[in-house]
Amino acid sequence: MPRRARWPGREHRLAIETMQEHSIIGRPVPKKDAWLKATGEAKYADDHSLPGMLYGKLLRSPHPHARILHIDTSKAERLPGVRAVATGKDFPGIKYGNLPQTRDYLPLALEKVRYIGDEVAAVAAIDEDMAEEALDLIQVEYEILPAVFDPEEAMQPGAPQLHDHAPDNISSQSAFHFGDADRGFADSDLIQEDIFETQPVKQGMLEPHACIGLWDNTGKITLWASKQSPYVVWRQLAMGLGIEPGKIRLVQTYIGGGFSGGKQEAMPMDFCAVLLSKKSGRPVKFVHTMDEVLTIGHLRHPIKIWLKTGIKKDGTLLAQHCKIIANGGAYSSIGQLSMYIPGAMLNLPYRLPNVKYEAYRIYTNNGFCGAMRGHTLPQICFARDSQLDIIAAKLGVDPIEIRLKNAAQPGEVTPNGFRLTTFGFTECLQRVVEASQWREKHGKLPRYRGIGIGCGSLVSGARLMGHSSSTAEIKVQEDGTVLLVTGSTDVGQGADTVLSMIAAEVLGVQLDDVRFAMVDTDITPVDPGTFSSRVTFWTGNAVKLAAEDARRQLAEIAAQKLEANPEDLIFRDRQVYLRQQPQRGLSFGELVRLAEYRLGRIIMGKGSYTSGEELIDFRTGYGNMSPAYTPSACVVEVEVDPETGQVTVTGIWGAHDCGFPLNPMLVRGQVLGASVMCIGQALYENLIRTQGKVMNPSFRDYKMPLATDVPKLANVEHINIITRDPSGPFGAKEAGEGAATGVIAAVANAVYHATGVRIKSLPISPGKVLFGLKEMQGKGNKPANLVKG
Amino acid sequence: MGYLRRLPRFEYLAPRSVVAVCDALAEYPGEARLLAGGTDLILQMRRREVAPRYIIGLKGLSELAFIRPQENGGVTIGAMTTVRTIESSPLIRERYGLLCRTAAEMGSPEIRQSATIGGNLAGALPCADFPPALITLGAQVKLKSQQGERLLPLEEFFLGPEQTVVGPSDLVTEIQLPAPSPLSDGAYVKFHDRHAMDMTTTGVSAFVTLDQERRRFCDVKIALASSAPTPLRAKNAEAALRGQAFTEKAVEKAAALACQEAQPRSSWRASRDLRLELIKSLTKRAIRQAWEKAKAPPDGGRP
Ligand SMILES: Cc1cc2nc3c(=O)[nH]c(=O)nc-3n(C[C@H](O)[C@H](O)[C@H](O)COP(=O)(O)OP(=O)(O)OC[C@H]3O[C@@H](n4cnc5c(N)ncnc54)[C@H](O)[C@@H]3O)c2cc1C
Repeated sequence: MPRRARWPGREHRLAIETMQEHSIIGRPVPKKDAWLKATGEAKYADDHSLPGMLYGKLLRSPHPHARILHIDTSKAERLPGVRAVATGKDFPGIKYGNLPQTRDYLPLALEKVRYIGDEVAAVAAIDEDMAEEALDLIQVEYEILPAVFDPEEAMQPGAPQLHDHAPDNISSQSAFHFGDADRGFADSDLIQEDIFETQPVKQGMLEPHACIGLWDNTGKITLWASKQSPYVVWRQLAMGLGIEPGKIRLVQTYIGGGFSGGKQEAMPMDFCAVLLSKKSGRPVKFVHTMDEVLTIGHLRHPIKIWLKTGIKKDGTLLAQHCKIIANGGAYSSIGQLSMYIPGAMLNLPYRLPNVKYEAYRIYTNNGFCGAMRGHTLPQICFARDSQLDIIAAKLGVDPIEIRLKNAAQPGEVTPNGFRLTTFGFTECLQRVVEASQWREKHGKLPRYRGIGIGCGSLVSGARLMGHSSSTAEIKVQEDGTVLLVTGSTDVGQGADTVLSMIAAEVLGVQLDDVRFAMVDTDITPVDPGTFSSRVTFWTGNAVKLAAEDARRQLAEIAAQKLEANPEDLIFRDRQVYLRQQPQRGLSFGELVRLAEYRLGRIIMGKGSYTSGEELIDFRTGYGNMSPAYTPSACVVEVEVDPETGQVTVTGIWGAHDCGFPLNPMLVRGQVLGASVMCIGQALYENLIRTQGKVMNPSFRDYKMPLATDVPKLANVEHINIITRDPSGPFGAKEAGEGAATGVIAAVANAVYHATGVRIKSLPISPGKVLFGLKEMQGKGNKPANLVKG
Repeated sequence: MGYLRRLPRFEYLAPRSVVAVCDALAEYPGEARLLAGGTDLILQMRRREVAPRYIIGLKGLSELAFIRPQENGGVTIGAMTTVRTIESSPLIRERYGLLCRTAAEMGSPEIRQSATIGGNLAGALPCADFPPALITLGAQVKLKSQQGERLLPLEEFFLGPEQTVVGPSDLVTEIQLPAPSPLSDGAYVKFHDRHAMDMTTTGVSAFVTLDQERRRFCDVKIALASSAPTPLRAKNAEAALRGQAFTEKAVEKAAALACQEAQPRSSWRASRDLRLELIKSLTKRAIRQAWEKAKAPPDGGRP
């Protein structure tokens, strides 16, 4: 497909501007550790070992719901090679978790098991075979309880109850009403109501959970682990063990993908590693198998979404009322936030004056759900943007026009108090229409080929109810290199590189001069973690402040030496010189040595960033959740095989306002990765559970898309919309999650355009397409939108 | 419970000859399992679906890894021949394009490198790809035990899902293919959710022989995967085409008959209704593609 390049002049200009303005920022450089990972040199948690280390394994419940009557571990303990065995009774019985009102995790089950896979006991042995053999020798007497798997059944009176603290199995709920929805519907010319359903989906990170725990005989606990949010784990570990966090040291290892698949929380394996270490006097390692990872939880919530929208004839959105019921599984994870987000961002990137929202997250005897890239937004955007196309068809409006008409604009405040600073959504739409040749294709493609659009929005870091700020420390060393220390982790998204680029830019050194430290809670500053697309924005701002602090200290010294004003100094290319007289200066290394050797000044910069103290109650929800929001638009082209129902994505074009791409190569990597993930959810992935048992816990049967399932690169385009957010570091906003939020709806809308079949439940499987086509043929081949009315 | 675990304990035997394998099988009746590429067996063992006391490794048996032309124009393939070897054998490509193409679309390069033809047949998974292709090619299987050898048509080999005529002391030694007749070729068309590297939801193999004028079906063989407890010959569909000219109507009719013959089941992988729809579509495609290939001159289109 020929690509029309309408904007090369503009992009080119931008590149030149960037190069003049910055020496590091804005350049497409590969990730700092790319070669380490490509050559297999990077050490992941499972690559570490300690002298005398034991191997741990977890015994999991075979029942979806049962009372534990008795556990006999004596036989396992007697097996030669077994060094320690633990059950729930070895822990203080304190429930831990995220938000205070939803703490329901235990390190190991005490009275009850609540899903197939719930952790019941743990052993540590001299090798993995021994540990597994020991599991077979643990005898657990269960009283099987009735189980419930469907959330709507679980809400009924008389349904089996999972947790004593949660009547009707309501794990969390959210309800709010902003503006006047009733009034909005009364003023509407058209009211559209639909029900959409989404499926359980797994992160599919390639590195399974792994850790090594050591409880030494001075009482100090160390956990080496693959954790994307190490400080959350640190706090939760302390909580569940009933000790002070200060006794615990958590050391992060290389992380092979996060996506909030569990590496953001303390898991039973972490507790058991340290406890079994205490019992055995040896370090203990745990590594999950992919089966375990796919069984235990932290899934993307499957949600039933009821959505009612009121709209004027001219396409102006007036009101939305949305009710959702989410199948939460056996535990809460971050579920309260998961329920707030779809309502809080139901409208974005559109302008919507009146919103009413009710959400229920229901406990069921399934593996539990939590956050996953985009959190609960891909689901809600699928529903909303699918419905927007249904409405556009009824009104006879072009899907692009209806979106342009309702596009939220910078400077606006949403009914629930989100302040949109920069927000290039209109431009996203315009550019993606150009790139995809929408006007030439929409309504004009041959039969069984179709094009569809979907849009979404995301935060640049959410203010949580707990700790939200980020801190960075910079130590400038005598050889002119820089040690950058933060509490943030690189999960593969490129934080190591982008944060280092920010420091290098401010201090005028090269990217390779900056060393990015991994989190070690004994050394690094506390940080909320890597989630909600916050690292570049929040930690990035902290790094910038820290680097500026260090530069100020150096500038003072240089100014004395050069007999100049500190403000007149330029830090660039490892040199410090006068703006007006570039020949007057000294090298960066010389300057540091001057400071350290002669003046006895150690150059350490510090910076902290927080974005106001405003807090949002997730249950009732008013307030500005994030300092900045990113809109995105995505167009997908598909081809449908009418004889098999198979959908092939043949092209994808996206535009996303990330403020300013600090490293366009990494932005592109993130955006494409997130898009492929959502193609996976749209077409292929589904964790199938029958009576609570996962039927496909392997990557052979849990079908993530492969290279053969995504469009050729020639038909893939990503466009950065540049808005330079005033509060983002160098103007940057989120780039890791937002661009994908509209992808699922774009696929669904493209399938509709190709076939006339409107699919409202995910995944868009061959069976649904095929039987949809047959049903339409039965009705005389009319397009679905005319038939359903 | 089906968690993937460490391998269970077993004793590993590594006989050096077919005779020694037969002796080992006879010595531990019902307690030993043959290990070929292990791409199915190792997973079954790690899930504890099978836990044999003895594993008899066949990797050392070079006498079973061969592709040998026969004097009658046919070819014999040793049970330990890998999918990769079959896919890249010039002899197979020349005489049995259908088999070559089927092999090339199985699993991934890594899987094809380990997986063997013997394991694909003896494992008898309903979704296995070789059985339909080989059945339509008229393959025969040779079994060996201390008692002697048996040769039987592949069609009679399968008894049910993961069940075959292979007894506890039997070993599959080779697969024999008859000489291909002129003006014949075939196509195996399968469907799975992803575009590659996926378990076959349903697959259809059609092998056709044309009359001299290249107008009519002289002979037709159709076999289905994942459409019944065993690989299934769609004999009514075949009969309906035999002697007929190639028309869309004839193809449609054959596809409808194949659907009637099939007895697919619903599982979490796919519903019965979906499989039936697919059998219809894939049967048509397989027949059309087989017809096109058979019609083309034998070396047509190849460099
Ligand atoms: C990721 C993945 C993708 C796959 N894709 C495909 C695919 O596309 N198509 C497909 O058909 N299959 C596929 N498979 C299944 C598998 O690879 C094949 O069935 C393979 O051919 C099995 O052969 P093997 O040598 O590995 O058998 P093994 O696993 O070693 O053995 C399988 C069974 O056969 C028995 N056996 C083996 N050899 C003999 C013998 N000579 N005599 C008697 N019994 C014997 C064994 O005891 C065992 O019960 C896939 C598997 C995986 C893991």
